[in-house]
Amino acid sequence: MDAYLVAILTIAGIYAIMALGLNIQFGMTGLMNFGVVGFYGLGAYASALVTESLGLPFLAGLVVAMIVGALAGIAVASLSVRLSGDFLAIVTLGFAESVRLVLNNEDWLTRGPRGFSIETRPVPDGFGRDEASLFYLLLVLTALAVSFLIVERLARTPYGRVLRAIREDDLVPAVLGKNVFLYRLQAFVIGSVMMAAAGSLYAHYVQTITPDNFVTAVAILVWMSLVIGGTGNNFGVVLGAVAVMVIFEGSRFIAPLIPWLDAEQMSALRFIAIGVALIFTLRFRPKGLLPEPQCGVPEVLGASAPQASLKLKDQKGSIS
Amino acid sequence: MQMIVNALASAAVLAPAAVAFTLMFALFRYANFAAGAFVTLGAFAAWHVNVRLGLPLWAGGVAAVIVTSGAVVVSDALVFRPLRDRGGATLLLVSIALSLILENVIRFAYGSQIKGFNLPLTGPLMMADIRITREAIAVIAVSVASVVAVGLLLTFAAVGRGLRAVADNPSLAQTRGLPVERVRGFGLVLAGALFGLSGTLVGVDLAIEPSLTWAVTVPVIAAAILGGLGSPVGAAIGALAIGLAEELTVAVLSPAYKSAVGFIVIGVMLLVRPQGLLGIAVERK
Repeated sequence: MDAYLVAILTIAGIYAIMALGLNIQFGMTGLMNFGVVGFYGLGAYASALVTESLGLPFLAGLVVAMIVGALAGIAVASLSVRLSGDFLAIVTLGFAESVRLVLNNEDWLTRGPRGFSIETRPVPDGFGRDEASLFYLLLVLTALAVSFLIVERLARTPYGRVLRAIREDDLVPAVLGKNVFLYRLQAFVIGSVMMAAAGSLYAHYVQTITPDNFVTAVAILVWMSLVIGGTGNNFGVVLGAVAVMVIFEGSRFIAPLIPWLDAEQMSALRFIAIGVALIFTLRFRPKGLLPEPQCGVPEVLGASAPQASLKLKDQKGSIS
Repeated sequence: MQMIVNALASAAVLAPAAVAFTLMFALFRYANFAAGAFVTLGAFAAWHVNVRLGLPLWAGGVAAVIVTSGAVVVSDALVFRPLRDRGGATLLLVSIALSLILENVIRFAYGSQIKGFNLPLTGPLMMADIRITREAIAVIAVSVASVVAVGLLLTFAAVGRGLRAVADNPSLAQTRGLPVERVRGFGLVLAGALFGLSGTLVGVDLAIEPSLTWAVTVPVIAAAILGGLGSPVGAAIGALAIGLAEELTVAVLSPAYKSAVGFIVIGVMLLVRPQGLLGIAVERK
């Protein structure tokens, strides 16, 4: 049970890094990225290839994963970041599907659906099983702390204010002479890099990755972390990731209580629960557990401070 | 030439769902990403009636249409209607959650194994070197008939005019005495029926499995965007273009990447002509 707790916390830490990345993209800048798993998967496989096929150490794998994440982020963002929410959402979703197809089909590179096993682990030699997993947890928590500090710092700078302004109404910062496209691109890429780094950490933790690890359901868990924790609030988002993973992983313990369901039905039930919880949170607590702090708004203006929430501009459509 | 026939079959599967998606977008102004889940639900409903109950496929198709219409109406009442004023991002997120729920309800009930309809084996027809299966002819015929029927309905029927009026300007339609909610309800039933039809056609053309959900969502929405969101004719043409692009991929690259094409096509499309093929430049507030 103790080992299990360490395992859950490690995975939760990895998800929290992704959630922070998504928080820069969506929480701060309003970019709807549903292709979280695409960057996560690219990072995992890039890291695996560098360490296993080229025999380089873990750190090289992590760095290459982040570079790949950045390049993919630039490519996807320059295609789509000018677009409003739904278009960006479908392009990123399509991107993630495409990544999964490549991982599944290019056997010569990714070893296909059989999975890629990874020997390299950033753990000192001579550590026992328990010590090694504890060390890995510490490593993940360090990475999480670094990501948290970067994102939190960013949120408090004028730069973060511009991002939030773009989220609320991109016309205003544009009129003030800010290059909205460039800001969006940068925010998207920072987030993608963090997701790819999370992928690298995941790959060397589980040590066997298959394309099935990178399905859209995983992206929904990350979105869930944001929505439950409080979109825009970095602390809330980390808390949300831990809550989601504890509920999701912890629900495995319920399985023995309902013996007439097979493993597949149990897993389906867990995803149904996640979906239902997401809808309920959006309906009854749209700001999440910890709402976004209203930083930078003087008290005098407090009453009329703009409310940050899931808001997207209306679109005009018509049947012709 | 063979490729065009194959592309037509692929397009025929997507077209009703793309029209349904664009119809829902026009009426409610949000992208319902559960489109693929509704199509998959339709495929399973048809499969249940066709294989489990041993009835002919047309009965399965009718069942699929009824089940998905019901699912669309119920999900709107339970999930979307209370959140309608919250803006596109919330509704989009909700529709993705709904998609996850539907996919896993199907997996819970039927498992993940790949399934297929119980169809009598028939050899392909040969017409001047072109191979075409009888199933493909049926799929294309049903799809064209349904899309044309929807087009006629929107152009000539009173309820079609109502749908266009509500899509164009709901408050004006309300002022002019149109029963807006009833028109919207009809739109939902119509969209659900089209999703169910697509589901049946998908089942004839491809294998039926719960993970169809995401594989269908991308090309369907791609077709709708390509044609210009909100334009049913555009959606049908978009489906044709996506079908053609898919067959090109199969011929040039590998069949495995068929479902990635949608992503590439919209990527390019959005760069070159963001309003879609038939869309009027999308007006944003």
